[in-house]
Amino acid sequence: MNEWITLTVNAIRRTVSCSAKESLLEILRDQLDLTGAKEGCGYGACGSCTVVVNGQAVKACTLRGKDKLEGIEVLTIEGLADPEGNLHPIQEAFLRAGAVQCGFCTPGFIMRLYALYRNKPDACADEIREALSENLCRCTGYEAIWEAALLAQKMLKEARVT
Amino acid sequence: MEFRYVGKTFERTDGYAKVTGAAQYVADIKLPRMLHAQILRPELAHARIQSIDTSEAERSEGVYKVITGRDYPILFAAAGFYDQSPLAVDKVRHGGEPVAAVIADTLDHANKALPKIRVVYEPLPVLLDPGEAARNKDVLIHERLGEYRHLGAHFPEPGTNIFHHYRLRKGDIEAGFKEADVSVEGEFEFSLSAHSALEPHGAICRWQGKDRVEIWASTQAPFVLQQTVAEMFGLPHAHVRVHVLYLGGGFGGKSDVTIEPMVVCLARAVPGVAVRYICSRKEVMTSTVLGRGMKARARLGARKDGTFTAFQAELYFSDGAYGDAATHIVTVAGHNCVGPYAIDHCHVDSYGVYTNTPPVGAYRGYGHPEGCFISERLVDMMARKLSLSPLELRRKNFLSEGRKNSLGETIRDHTGDLFKCLEHVEKELFSRPKAGEDERYLYGRGVASMMKSPKGAPNASSCCQIKFCSDGSVHVNLGGIEMGQGAQQAMRQIAAEALCIPPDRVSVFREVDTQHSPWEWQTVASMFTYRGGNAILKTAEKAIRVLKENAATVLRVPADDLDYDGQSVFLKTDPDRKVAVKDLARGYMYENGLTVGEVAEATAGDRIPGYVEPDPKFGMGTAGGTWTFGCQGCELRVDKKSGEVIIDRFISSFDVGRVISPQMIRGQIVGGVVMGIGQTLKEKIEFSEQGKITNATWVRYKMPRISDIPRKQAVIYVETPEKRGPFGARCVAEHPMVAVAPTILNALYDATGRDFFRLPVLPKDILEALQ
Repeated sequence: MNEWITLTVNAIRRTVSCSAKESLLEILRDQLDLTGAKEGCGYGACGSCTVVVNGQAVKACTLRGKDKLEGIEVLTIEGLADPEGNLHPIQEAFLRAGAVQCGFCTPGFIMRLYALYRNKPDACADEIREALSENLCRCTGYEAIWEAALLAQKMLKEARVT
Repeated sequence: MEFRYVGKTFERTDGYAKVTGAAQYVADIKLPRMLHAQILRPELAHARIQSIDTSEAERSEGVYKVITGRDYPILFAAAGFYDQSPLAVDKVRHGGEPVAAVIADTLDHANKALPKIRVVYEPLPVLLDPGEAARNKDVLIHERLGEYRHLGAHFPEPGTNIFHHYRLRKGDIEAGFKEADVSVEGEFEFSLSAHSALEPHGAICRWQGKDRVEIWASTQAPFVLQQTVAEMFGLPHAHVRVHVLYLGGGFGGKSDVTIEPMVVCLARAVPGVAVRYICSRKEVMTSTVLGRGMKARARLGARKDGTFTAFQAELYFSDGAYGDAATHIVTVAGHNCVGPYAIDHCHVDSYGVYTNTPPVGAYRGYGHPEGCFISERLVDMMARKLSLSPLELRRKNFLSEGRKNSLGETIRDHTGDLFKCLEHVEKELFSRPKAGEDERYLYGRGVASMMKSPKGAPNASSCCQIKFCSDGSVHVNLGGIEMGQGAQQAMRQIAAEALCIPPDRVSVFREVDTQHSPWEWQTVASMFTYRGGNAILKTAEKAIRVLKENAATVLRVPADDLDYDGQSVFLKTDPDRKVAVKDLARGYMYENGLTVGEVAEATAGDRIPGYVEPDPKFGMGTAGGTWTFGCQGCELRVDKKSGEVIIDRFISSFDVGRVISPQMIRGQIVGGVVMGIGQTLKEKIEFSEQGKITNATWVRYKMPRISDIPRKQAVIYVETPEKRGPFGARCVAEHPMVAVAPTILNALYDATGRDFFRLPVLPKDILEALQ
């Protein structure tokens, strides 16, 4: 049985239909054409579908049903750069550090870090590592992602100071 | 030679699209009137199909068609061994095989119809062990093996489960062991593992009538797929169009043709309508291809002074239900398990064996990690037996100028320098003393050496097309797939260098389409930088020649008197007499409109010259072509209580010939090492006795996460230019994974005094060995 729900995605209010078992990931990809969040496994092991929901990093494939989705505020990778297309510092850091290879895990890692630094700008190395260990990458060996995470934190702090 | 763009780091061509979520992968494509397919898989790994009743499923809501194997009893091959059908016909040979498919308006409706298909099976005995399957003549997985069409380089043994037998016969093995003062031997096991590219396999297909078909697929091999599908339906190859957007990782798992023939068959049942099928993660693991899967016995003989005299091995590969994707891996593992050493007497039998598991296909390293595991463990054991340093023993036997490898190819000075690679690893690894055992940890260090050559079709080529625009900027098209390795970026830098045009004015291909892209055999074997780079150099020369010819007409001088600098074509002796490239790109137009000369577009291709299949009798010949050598070392800790291994430092040194892009080459090496650590210490596909995969999820199949990586990775490049590589570059992409397992296992011996021969080595194995 489908019901209508309203949620805010990348600052725009959207009304979508939702069945009891439909996931946020399916709604984003199939109904809203926001395909930046990826499905790598479908059960929360890989983090490729990570988006920010009400300020927290969430694996969109695990969030299902009207009760969980009604009224939420979602930020996806498509909403991260500014309206002119200028990249967010985390996106910029991923490019500079060479943290992008196949790109399938990239949106998930970036959104994971966005939520972390929004809530804990001074997150320590262990906290950063713990957050990143929620997501899988098969290309980079994580070295460049780690460097991108540190660089992004530095860039965000500098942006705050100036 | 001074480079402007080669050897420097630039932002990736695909970087912006990938950090903004705009990059499109196959699952992101929506076509009008697109239907969805779901697949019925058997509950059994080996069974005869007695009957299939699809009537109830056909009446289910939203269902357009239900298809079974009998609808398309076609044998297809992508690598020349015609032993599989798009869906199972009369018999299932592994638990993930497609038995029937539902095409419906929605995924939900397709899923609801699946359980309504009734299949009656007659179970057959299940074979999982390759050695046992090779011996068993009563249970044949393919009864008609003798009837399958295949290439001359395949050697099936009809009446058995052996679909390919590669033999290496170099020298006289008995004489070799007679010459030896000592020998060492071991039994080796390399488990089946899953490539686990983050993006699942997927394909969308749409027929236009019965004689033209269009496919969007997650494939590293669009041109192979084009040919395979055309052959299946007797179409002109040119009528099959394959599109590839970005690939979310490949690692070889998307080079073999797997789900696509099935999707093409399904779409044929509903002409004019697109059918989409994306694998679930479970289906990627159970129903596409797996990697590795080897059991082997091997023996190495040496004189007291350390000179290797003889190498003998017997390798059995559990290659699963179909052999097409595995035959060449069997061959390559066979002639590479000798290691990067000059050994006069070699005798290897490598068997590709049918088992009731998913088929084995290309997986980063392609037979080399399996072979290297054998040689590098034996060499360390030999060093102990002779009380020699494992590094000295390697140096004594390394392939070097004038020596011959197992294939009989003579190594030249430009083939690469193993000595320098080892020297770098030694210096870095032993730069400080090893920690002694403490309460919690045992400490160890180890090294291993490797070699890798490509294995491909002897005519495998990369082709390039260059088009100048009327402002002097340039299009560079190739058919190599961007799957994360930085194919586009490497091509952009090489093209910029070759054309003297800054990278921001070079637009390289962003997708591959068999209709518009130049031919590329397939993006495998780490060959694209090498072969694609060469294709660019050749094409650039041709395109520049057109510009010069055009300018020669305008300046009324011979073209050979002219030079080119990316901006203009000018007289060598008087650079002020020049014509701008933008005015030459589409011929030269005089003020009155009269246009002379040719359009500045060119194409050219490259292949390894003189490359052949190994000789059928001796297994030798110029089947390597170009080689990359390297050494790796590591320092690790073993937790005595938990058996866990912590890698403190991992060092890699490869003779890469020339670094094209520092950021991307480091990404390949560091990433390959971590993947290698996964297959050494974690990853294993597990089966029940009935052949069901019991860990086909990323919850139970453990891959490295950020918490598992080495504390530090050092990467040191040796740059001995390859004679015909682009700017001297050679292949490096799979290579970082090849020697990781023996490097770690040699270090584990150093730490624990125990030899390990089975991969992966899990904490429980270590605890068991320590007791």
